[in-house]
Amino acid sequence: MTKKQKPDAVDVVIVGLGANGGTAAKVLSEAGLKVVGIERGPWLKNDKHYSGDELKFVNRNYMWPDSRLTPRTVRRNENDVAEPYPFSMTPQLVGGGTNHWAGWVPRPRESDFMLRSLHGDIDGASLADWPFRYDHLEPYLTKIEWEFGVSGIAGADRTEPFRSKPYPSMPLPPTRWGKKFYDACNTMGINAFPIPHASVTNNHKGRNPFNRTSFWNQYGDPSGARSNTATTFIPEALATGNFELRADCFVREVKMGRNGKATGVIYIDDDGAEVEQDAKIVILTLGAIESARLMLMSKSPEFPDGIANSSGLVGKNATFHEYLFAIGFFDKEIDDPVYGWAGNYISGGTMDFYETDESRGYIGGSITAASQTCHPINMVFPGRPLWGQALKDSDRTFFSYAMKIGLILHDLPQEANRVDLDPNVKDYMGLPVARITHKAHANDVAMGKWQVDKNVEILETAGARKTIPVYLDQMTGNTCHQHGTARMGFDPSKSVLNEWCQAHDVENLFVLDGSGFPTATGVNPTLTMMANAWRCSDYISDYYLKGREMRLPEPK
Amino acid sequence: MSSKADWKTILEPVDPNSNEPLFFSPHEWDTVEALAARIIPTDHDPGAKEARVIVFIDRYLSGINYVFASADGSGFLEMDGKHAHSWRARISELQQVYRQGVIDVDSESQAIFGAPFLDLDVDSQDAVMVKISGSPKPASVNLGTTEPSTTFFQFSSDDGLPFWPALCLHVKQGFYADPVYGGNKDRMAWNIIGFDGPKSLKDTMDGTYTTADKFVSDYDWGDLIPVLKEQEDFPIPVMSDIIYK
Repeated sequence: MTKKQKPDAVDVVIVGLGANGGTAAKVLSEAGLKVVGIERGPWLKNDKHYSGDELKFVNRNYMWPDSRLTPRTVRRNENDVAEPYPFSMTPQLVGGGTNHWAGWVPRPRESDFMLRSLHGDIDGASLADWPFRYDHLEPYLTKIEWEFGVSGIAGADRTEPFRSKPYPSMPLPPTRWGKKFYDACNTMGINAFPIPHASVTNNHKGRNPFNRTSFWNQYGDPSGARSNTATTFIPEALATGNFELRADCFVREVKMGRNGKATGVIYIDDDGAEVEQDAKIVILTLGAIESARLMLMSKSPEFPDGIANSSGLVGKNATFHEYLFAIGFFDKEIDDPVYGWAGNYISGGTMDFYETDESRGYIGGSITAASQTCHPINMVFPGRPLWGQALKDSDRTFFSYAMKIGLILHDLPQEANRVDLDPNVKDYMGLPVARITHKAHANDVAMGKWQVDKNVEILETAGARKTIPVYLDQMTGNTCHQHGTARMGFDPSKSVLNEWCQAHDVENLFVLDGSGFPTATGVNPTLTMMANAWRCSDYISDYYLKGREMRLPEPK
Repeated sequence: MSSKADWKTILEPVDPNSNEPLFFSPHEWDTVEALAARIIPTDHDPGAKEARVIVFIDRYLSGINYVFASADGSGFLEMDGKHAHSWRARISELQQVYRQGVIDVDSESQAIFGAPFLDLDVDSQDAVMVKISGSPKPASVNLGTTEPSTTFFQFSSDDGLPFWPALCLHVKQGFYADPVYGGNKDRMAWNIIGFDGPKSLKDTMDGTYTTADKFVSDYDWGDLIPVLKEQEDFPIPVMSDIIYK
């Protein structure tokens, strides 16, 4: 392989420019640091590359990784041979998952940061508290809501902890199926509210949110409605003059120096040449699967099992959530259409079932929300007839008469659930792919059952005349949420990262995605991740790079 | 190698009225068209045959020129590099799957009815398809029931699929995809199910196409969310805060 001359060393190199890499790029370049961002995927432009093409975006994976080029493998048990399976294939391009996401951005709850303190040790699970609390994160949640653009109604969620500011944008009007959800919840005494949404309906920060096409979840948004780091934080970082973006470049190793620090990264550029980029600080933001993979691939004499892995915990305690739901059908002959396919994926939701109620037979809980049933090819309809008159009849009868209520399963961490390097399967460059070993915990199954049954109850109250509950069997990675593979903590033997997501073993290596989450939370993780990435980026510029140190006291 | 961001637009939208195969032999064309006509049959509404699903499938299997429409639907993206390589391999496998699939359908027809598939009446064709699919003919979906399911993979890729599920998926795709790909002629499939889809992909890029009328227009947040009236920290927002109603 040809090697190119080394580019100039910089202050910070960021690997992976999605939600979190975009956040770090903005915060650190605005702080005056010289930053290079390296992204393995392309830099697609929302106004040039995105439109409402269901076949292209949902079926043929235009934006998603090609599973032949970059496969993943999955197994349920330790001794099984893992099979290729496109598990949690979050889009890999500039902006990452913020290109395709529905954009649910609820705030986490105080209990999410102290699950072990609240529940002790649960059989088979590896619960751990976070090394900080909700109050540490609150100012940064507010920063993300205002800088990135989030719509919502402050005060509408009666269970939300303290917030310092309302939202910068109003939500869209309710959809017809959203209205059904509100009405049913009000009948049942449930507090429904618009799920906070990573999109704007006003000209916040000069945006033009004209997209009302309903081509939303899994599609790129050609307008300025969706909050995507590729159209917000990354252009803001570039505007500082301190940030350089290198797309279509694949980082294959974080390089260790002789002084116990990382020296930078080695990547393959879009000409196929090898390039070494030196930096004072290396930030990994590839997502918890690919960050763990890169750490495990970065072997050195000091770290034969992967960089910063003296604890042996890199890749372990992986959590992925799972999207479970129930579908409800209405009667075309009698009821009004609910147009389940229309909307920007979410409308009303609730957090009323989030906190532990042990009478339900499990700990924890999940966010619940009504959501779109999607477009004609891929209508979310388990049991949709495969062919024949039954297929045609059911499509004609139910396409505009279906709604869905889903939840984000708060799965418990287990040490054996992990990401490691597959011994057999390689990607197109010959590098070992990420192998997922995952088996659901009994608590996950029980939670899924109770919450899906609750969704059925809401659908029936809403007047649905047929329901299809979808229960948890095993994780399919359908949320693209990834956490836990380099958990944060105070004890270097029980965690990989400290409270600033700084590796215990390598002081200039930071992992600022969901890898650090000790537990998964029961809300969509991106708001929490981005707020944490901002918080840790502030630590990097205000403390670490100034030679200062600040340690948080261990919360009681 | 150019980036995915720089792929050029080539060709034009597929003509749904074309009867000239780019991939299938005449016999394969006719057989797959007949199979598609039983997967989404014609009744008082048009079916897969009238929607020109056969053109959609033929163009898809012809190589890698018809995989991704350009964003505005004026043509197709010319892939290159590793993506082109990967798609060539995927399409090449599907070509073999279809070639063998048509042979298998005909030999099943011969075995049961002593004639090729195209010579059978529709009930006999259905019987062959039941045999090929390995499952009974799908029954209609009725109201008034609860039918549990478990989590499944939600991305409907055709990668590595055998003939029968690939064919069913492709027929559904051809029927309902944007007409640029050659099926869903005159958006007839969307009209049948009541989907007010865009007139062109370009209309989804600039605000021309909107589904705002499918939202609720007359509502009050305070009625939908009674708790808002009890809290005092933040004002109840009003509609005028939204520019895109």
